[in-house]
Amino acid sequence: MNAHQPVNIVMIEDDEGHARLIEKNIRRAGISNDIRHFTDGTSALDYLYTSPDGPALNGPALILLDLNLPDMSGTDILIRIKAEGSPLRRTPVIVLTTTDDKVEIQRCYDLGANVYITKPVDYESFATAIRQLGLFLSVIQLPVIEPDA
Amino acid sequence: MRQGWTIPLLRTERQFSRFVLVCVSVGFVALIGSAIAAGLTVMRTQDHARWVEHTYEVEQRVSSLRVLVERLEVARRGYLLSHQPVSKQTFRETVAEEPLLIAEIRRLTADNPVQQNNITRVERLVAQQFRLQSASIVLADRDPAAAVAAFNRDTSLGLTRELRLVTNAMRLEENHLLMMRITAQRQSVRELFMILTGFGILAAVVAVFSILVLRRYTGSLVEARDAERTLAAELEDRVRARTYELSRANDEIQRFAYIVSHDLRSPLVNVMGFTGELEAAARPLVALVDRVEAEAPHLIDPEAAIAAREDLPESIGFIRTSTQKMDRLINAILRLAREGRRVMTPEAIDLAGLIESIVATLQHRLDELGATVTVERPMPELVADRLAVEQMLSNLIENASKYLQPGRPGRIVVSARTNRDRVAIDVADNGRGIDPRDHDRIFDLFRRSGQQDQPGEGIGLAHVRALAYRLGGLIDCRSALGEGATFTLSIPTQPIASQG
Repeated sequence: MNAHQPVNIVMIEDDEGHARLIEKNIRRAGISNDIRHFTDGTSALDYLYTSPDGPALNGPALILLDLNLPDMSGTDILIRIKAEGSPLRRTPVIVLTTTDDKVEIQRCYDLGANVYITKPVDYESFATAIRQLGLFLSVIQLPVIEPDA
Repeated sequence: MRQGWTIPLLRTERQFSRFVLVCVSVGFVALIGSAIAAGLTVMRTQDHARWVEHTYEVEQRVSSLRVLVERLEVARRGYLLSHQPVSKQTFRETVAEEPLLIAEIRRLTADNPVQQNNITRVERLVAQQFRLQSASIVLADRDPAAAVAAFNRDTSLGLTRELRLVTNAMRLEENHLLMMRITAQRQSVRELFMILTGFGILAAVVAVFSILVLRRYTGSLVEARDAERTLAAELEDRVRARTYELSRANDEIQRFAYIVSHDLRSPLVNVMGFTGELEAAARPLVALVDRVEAEAPHLIDPEAAIAAREDLPESIGFIRTSTQKMDRLINAILRLAREGRRVMTPEAIDLAGLIESIVATLQHRLDELGATVTVERPMPELVADRLAVEQMLSNLIENASKYLQPGRPGRIVVSARTNRDRVAIDVADNGRGIDPRDHDRIFDLFRRSGQQDQPGEGIGLAHVRALAYRLGGLIDCRSALGEGATFTLSIPTQPIASQG
């Protein structure tokens, strides 16, 4: 992680159970960063863009995005984040979802997702994937968010 | 059909042709009848002409006879007066002609008793007159004065007058006959005209009637054809609407299956995940129980120990296997739904080659199970989605190799034949067979039949059937317990246009 600024991990996941599991595994991977959890797209976007301690106004972030949200599709959030002119354009987005439809995966990558992970029901590989993601998070360089990027 | 004048006779085509036949026959009868009538009349006219000619002939003879008679008298008187030998000569010559003429007249009027009567009278009178005249001439030769005196006294004038009367009567008689014949002639001509008019009217009526009926028939044919066309167009529209509805319904089902399987997966993730957490959480507890058992056994009560060591792992194990199974089932549904949405890309398939490549892929398993697959050539041409055909046949061959009869090495024969516009592919095995009661059930999702000693979810045949339907084909099973099974896949040789 960046030495200078703490990275906020923003998790947008509506299922409490999934969120808990993800969090447990991230912690087990040794990552101690703040994890902000949102259960719907509206409040997540609100935080991302307008909150004073949100990534738009305050430091780099990493977004863990689930596609099955109650109030909007995760792809809409992805589009919004990766849109031309969005201050969060360079924020890494990791899509974590149960859908394994090839078309859907392709679409997410086309829209600018950085990583797509299918949540398998096989807990072992799920846990490993999250843990590996955690390790991944510990080595990647997050881009600095310019005020007018 | 227009209201009003209907033709109850002409309901069928056969009736119509019969009617046409009748009309044409009547027309021809009229024609022939007219011809015959005309012919007969011409013959009669000729007859009449002949009779008229005959009458004139008789008249002419009778006039000639009168002339002869007059000439005789003139010749005698001339001789009486002049005693010229030429007169006598004339007399002799004329006398010679008379009987000939009379005979001729007699012959000509042979059929007319009145005239026969007349001519007999004429003959008698002529004979009388001849006696008188010849006597007069002979007397003239001997005693001319006496002859002249005799002449003044004789009955020759009376005779002559009578002859004139008879011959007149004969002429009148012939005239009368002539008139009769002319009238008859006119009558027969009139008859001909009437007959011709009659037949003409008949023909005209028949013609008009036929034309009207024909027009009406053609009209109704045209109407029927138009109605049919409209119906066909309507039918097409209806079919199109239905097909659209059906494909929408199908899409609906696909979406449903897709959404359901995803929404079911989500809680599954939680169950599996937290089962793992349970397991992980159980470990320190079990360790604690072990430690307590080792260091302070009086604290442990047997229930707690069993709970920790047996119940916990057992429950977690069952939960895990069940969720794994659920996952497999959901995946199967998802796969079926996906297949239903995939776009079919038909291409020409070399069936024998395809099957052989499938067998090659399964070769390892086949060898393990001791099964052999025979591919019978030649195989007919098939144009269909290659992937679908491959998946179906792969499934069937795998099944054939899986459900063997214990103690009998598996022999699988794959063959194909053309059946009208379809290709029928048979996968025949000598395995354990399928109970006839289950022949429909086995194609249902998650349903299996017979002894459950082989791994599987009961997905394969459901998948085959879904794919077969998608291609516009059918799958069928023929089998008896212990006698193997033959699965027949029937696919259209050429893809059906309305596949979606």
